[in-house]
Amino acid sequence: MKAFKLENEPKIKPGFKTPDHYFDDFSAKVLQQINDKEVKVIPIYKRKKVVAMLAAAVVIIALMIPIVNNYNNSKELDEATLETYLSYESNLNQYDLIRELDTRDIEAINKNVALEEETLEDILSSNPNIESLISE
Amino acid sequence: MTNEKEFIAQLLNPKTQNAAFQILLSEYQKPLYSHIRNIVLNHDDTDDVLQNTFVKVFQYLKNFKGESKLFSWMYRIATNEALTFLSQKAKLNGLTSEALQNKTIENLKADTYFDGDEIQIKLQKAIVTLPEKQKLVFKMKYFEELKYEEISEILGTSVGALKASYHHAVKKIEIYVTSN
Repeated sequence: MKAFKLENEPKIKPGFKTPDHYFDDFSAKVLQQINDKEVKVIPIYKRKKVVAMLAAAVVIIALMIPIVNNYNNSKELDEATLETYLSYESNLNQYDLIRELDTRDIEAINKNVALEEETLEDILSSNPNIESLISE
Repeated sequence: MTNEKEFIAQLLNPKTQNAAFQILLSEYQKPLYSHIRNIVLNHDDTDDVLQNTFVKVFQYLKNFKGESKLFSWMYRIATNEALTFLSQKAKLNGLTSEALQNKTIENLKADTYFDGDEIQIKLQKAIVTLPEKQKLVFKMKYFEELKYEEISEILGTSVGALKASYHHAVKKIEIYVTSN
């Protein structure tokens, strides 16, 4: 049998045909399909998955509200407890506190007192009812 | 197509998009049809794949960066669509890809849209025995008469490697046809 050589043969065509006028309405078919796809876009609120996820998110947030509130409350309570503890439970007394003051604290206290005196005098002098106050 | 950049801009502009896409369709529908038909072989499947190809081209146009030519980009989409279609069809029918293609070739004889004779059928049968890449290269070079440079852009393979692939393919086909 003679060896088959592709280049010696006349060109072999694939032999495929298309139906008559196939390409005439092909582009219309494609454009139709593209339009169909665009119309089929589903609004976000109609997607079950999104709705389910939103519902889940709302439930989780709702469940978190008491936790967040408790967290804040407990912080305030802590401060109150600390104050109560210091004033009632500890052995700290007035003298202990005074011993802790340094010169700057004392100066600050003096200033406050002076200011208070001035204010007091102002109030007393400007108050028209001062006589009655004194007499009482 | 005169100025490709301009044409791509028209394809992306919503105002000119439809008209430009029409031009794209009329320019590429025939060559892409042949390209897909050579891979999937029967007309109805080619029709499906070609429609999907153009729909994808339309959808992905906004992502087209122009790194490659529009021509090779579209051929690449068509090739992927056709190959994916074949492997899905084979899976659906519980066949290997090769068995499916052999069956399709047998059916070609009764296909109204095929007017080949013995030698065409024999050539198709010989092509089925080739590895995937050689199949593609042979079809694109021999049937579609694309240039090596064009095939290289579409398949992302060097021209040298393509020439070697084509050479191997021709040799194998000649041996097959001679011995059958």
